[in-house]
Amino acid sequence: MRTGVFYEQYLSEERMWNTPVKRWWVAVLVLLLLTLPFWSTKYLLAMACIIGIHILATLGLNLTTGNAGLISLSHGAFLGVGCYTVAYLGKMGVPFFVTLPIAGLLAAALGVVVGLPSLRVKGIYLAIATLAAHFLLTFVFREWGSVTGGIQGTSIPKASLFGYALSGDFDNFYLIYGLVFLMAVAARNLARTYIGRAFIAVRDRDISAEILGVHLLTTKLQAFAIGAFYAGVAGGVLGYFYGAITPEYFSLNLSIFYLAAVITGGLGSVLGSVLGAVFMTFVPELLRLLANLGAQSFPGLASIVLPMGQVVFGLLIIGFLVFEPHGLTAVWRRIQRVFHLWPFKT
Amino acid sequence: MKQVSRRQVVQGLGAAAISPLLMQHGAALAQSGDIVIGAAQPVTGVFAFAGLQMHYGLMDYVDWRNGKGGVQGRKLRYVMEDSGFKVDQGVAIFKKIMAAEKPSFFYCDGTPLVKAITRDAVDSKHVMTSSTSLASAVADASTTPQHFVPGATYGRLHEVLMEHVAKTWKGAEKPRIAYVYTEAEFGIDGIPAGKARAAKLGLPIVAEVITKPGGVGVDVSTEVAKLRRARPNIVIFQGYINAPMPEFARQMKEAGMDVDIYGTAWGLDKPAFDGLANVGENLTGVSLYAVSDEDVPMLREMRQHQAKVRSGTTYLSPFYISGWFSGMVFAEIADRCLKDKKALTLDNMKAALESIKNWDTGGVIGLPVDLSRHEVLAGRVIRYNPAKKSMEPAGEWISV
Repeated sequence: MRTGVFYEQYLSEERMWNTPVKRWWVAVLVLLLLTLPFWSTKYLLAMACIIGIHILATLGLNLTTGNAGLISLSHGAFLGVGCYTVAYLGKMGVPFFVTLPIAGLLAAALGVVVGLPSLRVKGIYLAIATLAAHFLLTFVFREWGSVTGGIQGTSIPKASLFGYALSGDFDNFYLIYGLVFLMAVAARNLARTYIGRAFIAVRDRDISAEILGVHLLTTKLQAFAIGAFYAGVAGGVLGYFYGAITPEYFSLNLSIFYLAAVITGGLGSVLGSVLGAVFMTFVPELLRLLANLGAQSFPGLASIVLPMGQVVFGLLIIGFLVFEPHGLTAVWRRIQRVFHLWPFKT
Repeated sequence: MKQVSRRQVVQGLGAAAISPLLMQHGAALAQSGDIVIGAAQPVTGVFAFAGLQMHYGLMDYVDWRNGKGGVQGRKLRYVMEDSGFKVDQGVAIFKKIMAAEKPSFFYCDGTPLVKAITRDAVDSKHVMTSSTSLASAVADASTTPQHFVPGATYGRLHEVLMEHVAKTWKGAEKPRIAYVYTEAEFGIDGIPAGKARAAKLGLPIVAEVITKPGGVGVDVSTEVAKLRRARPNIVIFQGYINAPMPEFARQMKEAGMDVDIYGTAWGLDKPAFDGLANVGENLTGVSLYAVSDEDVPMLREMRQHQAKVRSGTTYLSPFYISGWFSGMVFAEIADRCLKDKKALTLDNMKAALESIKNWDTGGVIGLPVDLSRHEVLAGRVIRYNPAKKSMEPAGEWISV
């Protein structure tokens, strides 16, 4: 049983991974990720890439919604902004390490505009305001044909680094998870800065936060801008990963997907973003594979067995909301506690 | 340090020398087994009604063809997984099947998936794709060289429709035409080509109504008022499977409008013609394929096969026929390659596809088919027969 963690200086306590056990876990995780393309199947690698992109986007929404308490239903559209920016600039020969930050910054600028109503409204009203922004942006994706390719979509050139084209899942995996690592660390650090604490203060009680000196206008717009920046970068990476995209991808369902990932993962936590994105992507896939096996065993019942995966997934989400509203992070922490206190019970 | 013996060096060099031969042998083995057709079908989700039919169509064709001895003595093998009409899921399925089965053909659930997998499919150099999509964007061999559309694109269908109207309209004046379509690709794609052909034929387009995708939340009464002012003789619906067509038809009737209602392709399936029949309208439209109970050889085979494996089902949905027809094209491509003793590489299969001209499809399409442009350039107008409660031919096959 671990009885405590002892620090000799304040700096040790402030470290991001402040115990040897945590540092070991991070090292193991990094090692696993670095070697994954060498030992996984192509299918798992593709799934890992898709999950990585969703982690990036979920990290952003968790900062806006989980940390700052501002509901956004335009997150999927911000991904679209990033994706189309990368497509447009990529065709002009701009390298990916320039297009991705620009994609993020453009999405962030739009995030500021979309976030303006948050100064006057909150909760469900803010959700509706951001919903309007979603429809406005998706309208632009469909109609601004010269830039977005209109309803037929657009293609995105391969990302290249000093003449070497990043093609295939093997190369894209390192691009995606390199960004996931950097941006997850950035999100974690942000929560420990003045800005991150201001987000939480605004979320918990904005009037009190203002009395304490938090500037509401700046803080709320920062929350939207930073969340949208993450979405923009995720959208850019999505474009590089698929190579072509149509506006249908950036539907309202995508925004709801990220909202569900934030809620099931755990509000206001980087680990929650990761677990939520993994849960929302991998669990339906796992259930689909099981349903597929069932359908193969009973071909005559395929039309009944195959949708069962979705039914079970829906029940799982409801189960989480009812029995563990703090999300998968809380489940993970409970498991951690069991190990820490073993052989005693929590 | 471990010493390496001369024997081990010789063995190593020998293995290195024969490895290319072994690899060639491996490639030869890959060329001699089953011909795999992978598929990501939307068996669940918003397009489940279509996905299940496309799945049955393609699966039944593979069964039927294998019953006839396969392709040049090789069996077809169909590997399908449910995509739920989600791009991420479809891409994962594509990558999974590509890695595990090395398919020669892959069937996608729609335009977004075709676009998302094109780069990987082309890079693989061993897979040709098709899908339910009739979008012109995926019939472009310069951007999607591995893909073909199993029928006419939306643009071609609208051109056929305009040609039919120009030829068969009996009124003294040219018919006034109105368009009602969704703002999704499914709705918009064919409209410019239809309008261009109408202009060429001197057919006036008097109104255009654009609705939200799926026709959800359409204020029908406002749109009908707009149509009433335009006084059309024909209203062409594009991009709807059923709603809001019956509601439009009912309100147009109540407003005293005497119009013919037209549709295309998937908008001519049972939900559409039944829905319109319920409000007393007989749907007309341009079809990709022969109709369900038409007496042509390949549809007879479909009906017999369906009766054998799915007794009680008599109706052949256009989605089912599309799945079956895609299988026919896959098999024809493989057949042409194997006859010429060519491996099933993308280059060879693309050349085989483009060599398909004057192809007899057993009546699935009533004209000799030309697939050299990765799409079929023909269609035919069909009309609802209230006595039979089914669609029947209303004109000749038209090539555009």
